[in-house]
Amino acid sequence: MTAGIETESLGKEYGNGVVALRNVTVSVEQGEFVALVGRSGSGKSTLMNILGGLDHPTQGSVIINGKVVRYTDRRTLIDLRRNTVGFIFQQFNLLSALNAAENVEYPLLFNYLPKDGRRKRALYLLSLVGLEERAEHLPHQLSGGEQQRVAIARALVAEPSVILADEPTGNLDSKTSAEIYQLMREVNEQRKVTFIIVTHERELASYCDRTIELRDGVVLS
Amino acid sequence: MIVKEADLLRLSARQLVKKRLRVALTVLGIAIGVAAVIGIVALSDGIRYQAIETIRSQSDLTLIEVHPSTQDGVSQLITGSRVESLRSIPHVTGLSPAFTDSYSTRKQTFLQILAVDGNEIGPVLHLTLASGRMPEPGAPEVVFGADIKDKLQRNEGIRIGDVFMALVREYNETGMPVDRQVPLSVAGALTDRDDKFDQYVFIDRGTAVRIRGEDRGYDTVFVRVDDPDAVFAVVDSITAQGFTVTGAFEQIEAVNRFMDALLIVFMLFAAFALVVGGLMITTTMITSVYERTRELGITMAVGASEHDVIRMVLYECLLIGVIGGIVGDLVGLLFTAIINTVGKPWIIARLGPEFSTIFGSEIAKLSPAMMVAGLLIAVLFSLIAGIYPAIKATRMNPVDAIRGLQ
Repeated sequence: MTAGIETESLGKEYGNGVVALRNVTVSVEQGEFVALVGRSGSGKSTLMNILGGLDHPTQGSVIINGKVVRYTDRRTLIDLRRNTVGFIFQQFNLLSALNAAENVEYPLLFNYLPKDGRRKRALYLLSLVGLEERAEHLPHQLSGGEQQRVAIARALVAEPSVILADEPTGNLDSKTSAEIYQLMREVNEQRKVTFIIVTHERELASYCDRTIELRDGVVLS
Repeated sequence: MIVKEADLLRLSARQLVKKRLRVALTVLGIAIGVAAVIGIVALSDGIRYQAIETIRSQSDLTLIEVHPSTQDGVSQLITGSRVESLRSIPHVTGLSPAFTDSYSTRKQTFLQILAVDGNEIGPVLHLTLASGRMPEPGAPEVVFGADIKDKLQRNEGIRIGDVFMALVREYNETGMPVDRQVPLSVAGALTDRDDKFDQYVFIDRGTAVRIRGEDRGYDTVFVRVDDPDAVFAVVDSITAQGFTVTGAFEQIEAVNRFMDALLIVFMLFAAFALVVGGLMITTTMITSVYERTRELGITMAVGASEHDVIRMVLYECLLIGVIGGIVGDLVGLLFTAIINTVGKPWIIARLGPEFSTIFGSEIAKLSPAMMVAGLLIAVLFSLIAGIYPAIKATRMNPVDAIRGLQ
């Protein structure tokens, strides 16, 4: 068994006949920091959603940490999202009614963790992303960069082995973007969490260990 | 597990606080439904209670009249052994077999005769003398009911202590009516009861048998029950023995039947209010689910199952239902209080002062059980109303939901 993510001849065709992925075979080792690039419509988001258990392939298979993901089984997908994968979104997507700490502990709510343990872990992760002072702030009281830091803490809270980041700096200025990248890189190096980052910014992609490029649903490199 | 439920409930509560105006209006909707239901039940229960109390106080509820049931058009007279079988029914404290007959006066005033043991008129029938005394067993004496006493005194000058000629009609061999004259003395008169006993002329059973010259058995047995609440049970066991039973309890049955029918019709209208309240919850929750599509998508992305999402939506409905039920109960209390304070004088003014005693205490009676029922109804309707929005929340594609495409 090898830790990491592999896909074999992955294909995705939507009901309306659009083919989003074609014969995609990629392998990402545990602890890698990988950029996934491509124009819009190239299939990047589809691939990410399939890897994260939010969507299912119509062909081929995904192997995460040596296990073939059974996309027909709801529990498997829920378990995958709960314990194995963390998401970071372009829009940050924090819950507006919850403060920073509550947002971070939100995923643990579905993991049967008691409240004290959750809060402790949330505060620890907030300190990791440098926001321990902002634990009680609501999302609209935070800057974009701070919100994305909270989102990173949230993605890490269940100790996933892989974080899928969909354009994590798309809504941030270049200085903040660089800070977020640096933070993700630190997390990657210190905690050996795999990162797969969708981006269309070549400069940011160059910070990554390597780049996987998709064009029209096919892997180029 | 408990931890998680409490967390989800807390989360749902926060969602409600966020949209408090909308929730308040929705709560009001379901509360009006609950108030309508419990208000109507309270009002009808109150009226039913007053009506039954009135019957209880104004009529002799514990006296049951047993008649032979008619089979194939022939009524079987009651024999002594069947009378004894009535005596063994629990709560029966006394009984008096009797038969009815009819005589007339010489001025052709119809006399409805009740031939009954003179010693049982007081203890069993609870009839009391206004004047005079009860008839002696075997003596040719009668006691008048209040109305017939007045009538005979006014029209024929027959008074207590007088002897008058009663005409007993018989038929000879050729079928011709022959009236035989029997002298009867008036031993006493009974107090006014406002029921059919006021019309009766009471005569000792043995005397009546002698007047007719034959013992034909009984056509009526009066049964006295010790407890008004036991009357219906006694009636049931007597009916089970094949008798026909009448009495004041029939008025209560009639009131109950009437109130039940009325209640069903009223409840139908109240149910409309509840359904409208439920639809308001559905609308509120559908809107809420639409607005939170992205949030619910993220929730699923971080590991919530469909089950979790359904519960999050249903918990919101549950809270709306609980609050709606409580508010509804309070509005219902207010409603009954208004009926009992403002409404009562108004209704009595419409009905006339003689009804003022009927509504002695309260018109509307709201019991704790009814308030609990109101709360449960609100919760039930809220949860039913939430099923569709809850399922809708799980039907979305998390990917599209997060992008805000749905």
